[in-house]
Amino acid sequence: MTAALPSPALARFVPKRKRPSIWVVLPVLFLVAMSLLPLLYVGLKAWDAGWHEALRLLWRPFVWGLLRNTLLLMVGVTALCLVVGVALAWLLERSDLPGRRLWGVVLCLPFAVPSFVSSFTWVSLSSDFEGLGGAILVMALSKYPLVFLPVAATLRNLDTALEESARTLGCSRWGVFRKITLPLLWPSMLGGGLLIALHMLVEFGALSILGLQTFTTAIYQQFELEFSNANAAMLSAVLLVLCLAMLWLELRVRGKARHVRIGQGVARRAQPLRLRGWMPLGQLFCLALAVLGSGIPLAMLGYWLSVGSSAAFPVAAIGKALGTSLSVSLGGAGFCVLLALPISFLVVRYKGRLAIWAERLPYLLHALPGLVIALTLVFFALHYVPALYQTTALLILAYALLFLPLAQSPVRTALNKASPTLEEAARTLGASSFAAFCRVTLPIIFPAMAAAFALVFLDAMKELTATLLLSPTGMTTLATEVWAHTANVEFAAAAPYAALLIVVSGLPVYLLTTRMYLNKA
Amino acid sequence: MTIRPQPLMRSLAAAVLSLVIGAPAALADEPVTLTMYNGQHKEIGEAIAKAYEAKTGIHINIRKGSSNQLASQIIEEGERSPADIIYTEESPPLNNLGELGLLAKIDDATLNMLPKEYVGANGTWMGVTARTRVVVYNPKKIDEKDLPTTVMDFAGPEWDGRVGYVPTSGAFQEQAVAILKMHGREATEEWLTGLKAFGKTYTNNMVALKAVEKGEVAAVLVNNYYWYALERERGKLDSKLYYLADGDAGNLVTISGAAAVKASKHPKEAQALLNWMASEEGQRVITQTTAEYPLHKGMVSDRGLKPFDELRPPKISPADLGNAEEAIELEREVGLL
Repeated sequence: MTAALPSPALARFVPKRKRPSIWVVLPVLFLVAMSLLPLLYVGLKAWDAGWHEALRLLWRPFVWGLLRNTLLLMVGVTALCLVVGVALAWLLERSDLPGRRLWGVVLCLPFAVPSFVSSFTWVSLSSDFEGLGGAILVMALSKYPLVFLPVAATLRNLDTALEESARTLGCSRWGVFRKITLPLLWPSMLGGGLLIALHMLVEFGALSILGLQTFTTAIYQQFELEFSNANAAMLSAVLLVLCLAMLWLELRVRGKARHVRIGQGVARRAQPLRLRGWMPLGQLFCLALAVLGSGIPLAMLGYWLSVGSSAAFPVAAIGKALGTSLSVSLGGAGFCVLLALPISFLVVRYKGRLAIWAERLPYLLHALPGLVIALTLVFFALHYVPALYQTTALLILAYALLFLPLAQSPVRTALNKASPTLEEAARTLGASSFAAFCRVTLPIIFPAMAAAFALVFLDAMKELTATLLLSPTGMTTLATEVWAHTANVEFAAAAPYAALLIVVSGLPVYLLTTRMYLNKA
Repeated sequence: MTIRPQPLMRSLAAAVLSLVIGAPAALADEPVTLTMYNGQHKEIGEAIAKAYEAKTGIHINIRKGSSNQLASQIIEEGERSPADIIYTEESPPLNNLGELGLLAKIDDATLNMLPKEYVGANGTWMGVTARTRVVVYNPKKIDEKDLPTTVMDFAGPEWDGRVGYVPTSGAFQEQAVAILKMHGREATEEWLTGLKAFGKTYTNNMVALKAVEKGEVAAVLVNNYYWYALERERGKLDSKLYYLADGDAGNLVTISGAAAVKASKHPKEAQALLNWMASEEGQRVITQTTAEYPLHKGMVSDRGLKPFDELRPPKISPADLGNAEEAIELEREVGLL
């Protein structure tokens, strides 16, 4: 009997159905509309102000300055991360450096510290870290694991035969690295680099604390000055163009990445390079990175925590912020997974125009800055859906949009493995399509949904930008409290909130991420 | 006595509720809750809410933001505004709201407690406390005798990297308006251009003050009460307050003010809150939290400030300042915003 069921690996060959159910179509249409809303918002505001005025607002030295800062930051941080990340990955994967495994674990710790928290610790150490140079340094120190991890994973799984052949043909070690290894690493380097570049475009909290004016901080400044005005919308337009350009690049790179991938036939690991006299230098590099990347931020946080505890901790306020953070993140994660389900369903089980949209949607959402999504939601809620204005529901909607890309990929992967023929078998046995889904497919994808829920929940806990704009009156979260106190230079007051953020969000994210990469040999 | 559910459970319930029925997070069956849009410092709003709730049982829900943002928000919200009261750090945003007809007239009984020059046109807004612009300098970086007598002189090359200011703050914009009125557009533009070229910008006044205290810059242009707030926290400060020549724009006296929003669904309660804020009791709560001058007739601050009648501000009242639009426009023109 069992032999009659197709194996999961065959699932993808089952012909796709043509017409999806309304319960799949509606949420996807809703999400498509939502992701296009920011463009509509910018367009409406520009229309309101008049094209002439809109152009005038765009074409002025202030905007050029923002563009310069934003691009310099983006390029600087990405380049620094690439150099540090690749060097580190090579050192830990290909050399005989003692303690490699431990270093790998320690050097991913920046994942545990939200970048606006590490920024505040650096600024509290010295105001010299403010401005472009400081921002590049601090941001690179908090983002390099995004290059290190994928490059390390690629290096580990790389077929070493090519490199060895090159060696036997007389190529120097450096030559091999340059001509063979580096091109093979390109896809993961580009992937990580583009992710960092996109992060730099949309980062707000950290840059605001580091005192660097970029598009996001300027948009927020306009918001503080005039709420939701044409100025903010025009700056958002430039930011959107930059983000969509990054998205385009990323999609191109993704396409190319497939051609470069090589077979997994050789299981043999590379011969580790003997560092010999260079060993201390390697250790020093790792040590410096550990001290700068997580040592100093965590130590400064500990210092402010000890300073703060000499006064009484505002336990009630901290408890309230923690409770709010937990509840809105739970709501956001739940809603997000609910939305991820129809999207993944459509991509995996159907074809047609809507399925193509559904396929692209997570990438588009990923490239939209949280600040612009928030501005858009404020505007449309106030004018068209007043019942949602300043409500928790709107914030939860924003979270769902922001984190959909995160939730979608595990759900989709799992759904790919759940063959529709299983459901069909259940239907021939008399179950309704809904019952068949609930009793057959749902149990298969449930673990992936739980994983998606956890990922979104943990990330939503530290969300700052959209929360600042969309919080209902009187609401505070851990992230907004860190931000509010830091803005007033009250580092000791910010510390307990920041520490809690690391414990409830940062550390779990760190454990999940590092485990995913480091344990998968 | 009402029993309020735990914040966690309440927001959780609201989150679930809103997910299920897509309705606003309704926090029903409480007595009257007033919504205050608070552009004034967070701790002052909280002090008011705490004292007022203790006295009347009325809960004040506070939305914190910058004064400009919150006033613009009320303009955009129009009749839908959930705000009952707006409390700002400056008069121009209130003036703007008043001109647009978005504010209710304040009860005469309330206005009578305050001097006329600190009340807006048609009684639509009132000054709550006064503050003065000052220069704070660090004696380790500059001698008092080397400080200029007019704020206009801070915009020169001799101040390169040594003077700090906060272009986004409403108080700075008020000062720019005062300079506009006193010296004209050209001089103001020159002043702003000079500050942009030579001065160091900070994101807010407290950051600027802590910078001068650390000796990062020699002097900063801020409001007086920041210095007293930091002094109270730290006991003793290196930096000192400096007042400019009589009648200089650098000595501008401004107000923090409040108004009742016309769209309010609780106009009576809003007026009662304003009345309390103008009363001796309310003013004591406020001026014990911030080192500003109480505006209630006959009251004086007990925070050891330079006596109000010894200040030598230019003759420009908060009502004279009008809107800050032109100042913001000028700041945009020179590229500060």
